[in-house]
Amino acid sequence: MPHAPFSRRRFLQSAAALATGVALSPASMVSAQASRAGELNLLVWEGYNSPNVLDPFRREFSARVSASTVISDPDAVNRLRAGETRVWDIINLNNPWARQHMHPEGLIVPLDQERFRGYYDEMLPEFQWPHEWSMSLDGEHLVGLPQRFGPFSFVVNTDKVSRATAEDQGFNVFMDPSMKGKYGILTWSDWNIFHMCLTAGFTPFRKHTPEEMEEFRKVAEYLFQNARLLSDDHLQMNQALITGTIDAYFTGGTYTASVARYEGFDNIRAITPNSGPIDGKGGIVWIEITSLVNNPNPTPLATSFLEYIMRPDVSYEVAMADGSYNPVAQMGTPSVMEKFSAKDLDAIQFDSLEEELSRCVPFQINPDYAEMLEIYTAARRTR
Amino acid sequence: MAPILELVDVHKMFGDFVALERINLEIHDGEFVTIVGPSGSGKTTLIRMLVGMDQPTTGNILLRGERINEIHANQRPTCMVFQSLALFPHRSVGENIEFPLKIRAVPKASRRARAMELLKQLHLPESFYHKGIHQCSGGERQRVALARALAFDPEILFFDEPLSALDYRLRKTLEKELKAIQRSTGKTFVYITHSIEEAMVMSDRIAILRSGRMVQVGTPDEIYHRPRDAFVAQFMGEINRFSVQKASDGTLTDTDTGVRYQAPTRVADADGTALMIRPEQIRLLPEGEHMDNVLSGVLTQSYSLGSRTQYQVSVDGRTVLVELLGRANAGVGDAVRIGWPADSAMLLKA
Amino acid sequence: MRAWLLSLRSRLSSMFPDPVAPDVSPPPLATRLWQRAPGPLLAMPVLVLLLVGFLAPLILVVTYSFMPPHTFSLTQAPTLDNYRNVFSSTYYVSFGWSVLLAALTTVLLLLVSWPIAYGLTRSFSKPMVLTLLLVLPLFISENVRLFGWVLTLSNHGVLDGTARALFDVELPMPLYNIPIVLFGMAFIFLPFMLFPMALGISMIPESCREAAYDLGATRLQVLREVEIPLAMPGIAIGSLLTFVLALGSISEAKLLGGQSIIMIAHEIETAFTYAQNWPLGAALATLLILLTAAMVIALLARLDMERLLGRGR
Repeated sequence: MPHAPFSRRRFLQSAAALATGVALSPASMVSAQASRAGELNLLVWEGYNSPNVLDPFRREFSARVSASTVISDPDAVNRLRAGETRVWDIINLNNPWARQHMHPEGLIVPLDQERFRGYYDEMLPEFQWPHEWSMSLDGEHLVGLPQRFGPFSFVVNTDKVSRATAEDQGFNVFMDPSMKGKYGILTWSDWNIFHMCLTAGFTPFRKHTPEEMEEFRKVAEYLFQNARLLSDDHLQMNQALITGTIDAYFTGGTYTASVARYEGFDNIRAITPNSGPIDGKGGIVWIEITSLVNNPNPTPLATSFLEYIMRPDVSYEVAMADGSYNPVAQMGTPSVMEKFSAKDLDAIQFDSLEEELSRCVPFQINPDYAEMLEIYTAARRTR
Repeated sequence: MAPILELVDVHKMFGDFVALERINLEIHDGEFVTIVGPSGSGKTTLIRMLVGMDQPTTGNILLRGERINEIHANQRPTCMVFQSLALFPHRSVGENIEFPLKIRAVPKASRRARAMELLKQLHLPESFYHKGIHQCSGGERQRVALARALAFDPEILFFDEPLSALDYRLRKTLEKELKAIQRSTGKTFVYITHSIEEAMVMSDRIAILRSGRMVQVGTPDEIYHRPRDAFVAQFMGEINRFSVQKASDGTLTDTDTGVRYQAPTRVADADGTALMIRPEQIRLLPEGEHMDNVLSGVLTQSYSLGSRTQYQVSVDGRTVLVELLGRANAGVGDAVRIGWPADSAMLLKA
Repeated sequence: MRAWLLSLRSRLSSMFPDPVAPDVSPPPLATRLWQRAPGPLLAMPVLVLLLVGFLAPLILVVTYSFMPPHTFSLTQAPTLDNYRNVFSSTYYVSFGWSVLLAALTTVLLLLVSWPIAYGLTRSFSKPMVLTLLLVLPLFISENVRLFGWVLTLSNHGVLDGTARALFDVELPMPLYNIPIVLFGMAFIFLPFMLFPMALGISMIPESCREAAYDLGATRLQVLREVEIPLAMPGIAIGSLLTFVLALGSISEAKLLGGQSIIMIAHEIETAFTYAQNWPLGAALATLLILLTAAMVIALLARLDMERLLGRGR
């Protein structure tokens, strides 16, 4: 899942985590170790913390569940690295982190393949066993289960920019002089940086040459300078799109557009470019992987929770959680599929999902992220 | 000479409540007039109208013959020393005194010179110029407030009981100083107080206010010796009061006890029903001495007032005050006779 | 200020008096301490709490600012890299916007709040109603209130939509620019200026005002010579609160301003979250704290609280 907007509260939470992470967490860890029975701590993207998902679990397992919302993948991984493996039982992040970082670093533990393999039979064709992002790098271990996913590029108002034009031109739509002052940027930095690389004409998922960095800087400065508005809140972006303040917004996908579509604004549409610089593809798809944290004092509830979210009814609740609607891998099963109404399916653009996925590459890690973020924030600051 | 300030039928209502009822008063240039009244008599309402913080409902206030009812305080050539003094706590003594001059954009140097002059006039050392208000004592603050008002150079200076918060001795000193300053500056002072003592010491004339009405205006002597009614007489100091009825033979019958009194020959009010005698006019009579009016009673209390002594004598269950120079021969518990000459009593309207 | 420090020093020295000549048989140390300085002993728990709760996070942030970039441990060799990075790049732009907007917000609120505060304490017949109206929104999240303005002011929003429906006119959209950020900040921080100011105004003795009029002052002179100086403690506290809070504000520029400018708090947030560069964020935060402290101290020194409160000079 992409980045959810920050609220000041969340920012304060993370600032407090900085302070308490050093000062107070040993104490809370001790108490955590003392009585873990019936306790489950989740570090998950927005949606998994929805009461619709958690309350039935709490009742059924008489569990004390607390969920903390992830604000960025690297932030969550760094929290585990800083010793919070003792706090969390379940972590849910975008696809590359489990197999490339958390598993090799021993932050998560492999799942029992016998117990979980069967679930893959019920997933969409793209997720059939052995699913690449569920497996460790050597293909030996099952490091997590996929559920929500979605193409993520940009969003347009099809009354202003036709779907065909947008798909043909891809991110170049935003470089068109006629678009100056008519688009917004949803400032989820990591996605913005991916998409700015694509706009500049190269893949974000490898080391970059100084020339490419320079090209990236130019694109970043141009896009910030000519944007009508910036916001880290996708609801505000949708609102600006609906009211005609902007015609399109840079960085977005079914995750962001689905809420507006569900409200009946069919002219708001997530676009996946027809082509692009990553082996000819121009779209990126994210897949959330839910894994078991390597907690020294594990709770059996963690595995139960993984099984619980794979259930058809819970899969549907996860897909249609508050604030964002998304396809789930479990839609390969009729019993899951039949829960989705025509309206639900239209909101998540299910009719074109398969076609769009074929034009996408999976989310990967950008090795130049830190350096590009500095260029990016400087461009944003001096726009 | 025309009065400097004149109140003509000044009437003030607060809703249905009559705060002041048709007040008429003339104040002359250079006079020290004190308006006295118990709390609730309307003094504060009156002075607020005189300085321009309030307006009469009907009637006129004339300053040198010109109607000033609606003229706001900051447009009037008069000013007031407040009960709270209202010194500016954020300003030094010097700045407080210079305030009215600063308002008039008087240059700094002459402002300062005038402030120094006033400090001297009010017996404050020059070093006070830079002092903070909070560092001054109560008496010093009085002087600063007066200096500030004098710096304004008002045609009339009003005072709203500024001395009431001070202790007795300091008050006495300042009363006399105030009078001296009034004399030396020749300004018209209008002073408001609830204390008749203060009024007696300082004033050329006293105006007595009761429940919104001006009951008597006159010199302190006039008012003391010829009070217009029982209220004024009582207000001027301790006094014995007997409710009486006039009999056909001209004598007076006490309505409580039936005792007959001989009436004073000079009667201010022929229909008066209050026979009033000041304690110092009554004597303890030695055996055999006779007077116009004699009563018998028992001496119940004695208080020393320094050179004088006050006694309480119980007569027919009623207490009569008697005040003597020196001490009497009788002691507490003794049966005594008291008496007074008919003309030392006053027959007044109740 | 200096007088205050002196009085603080004398208060401190009275808390810890000079040792006196010991008795023949001195009581145990604990007893002696208890007898001699019960105040400081009783204050210990609160002091410790303040140290842990207030000073410790501050020290933590400052320490982090000297750690190598992109690291998460506090035990490495200190470096000035983060500060070098801050000073060699364009962060001054964000600092500048934050200071400028905080200052403008404070000035704007001084002008706007005075008449309201004056009415609140002196003229309005039902001040409680207005107070409630001003206080109730504080229970609603700042972001929600700001987003309310976005919905009101945007294209086809409450205002524009109404104008279109009723009068068939299109209103210009005042969103996503710098003036609207200033408006948003003034809107959010109004209570922080208003209530201290109202308290300050309520502290002006009515008689001082009347005396000034009586001595010939005009309305304007009373305002300048009496009311403003006497309300100054409230004005100063309100201004300080507003300025300091506004300096750390973030949502107004984000929501109403559409990030047309990036406030320094936003940069700090980015450094701590997306960039995962805690040391950089800590360096920015440290600089912001220093900047705030410097401005607050400069202001306090100028204002001289002791004199404002009328306690000698």
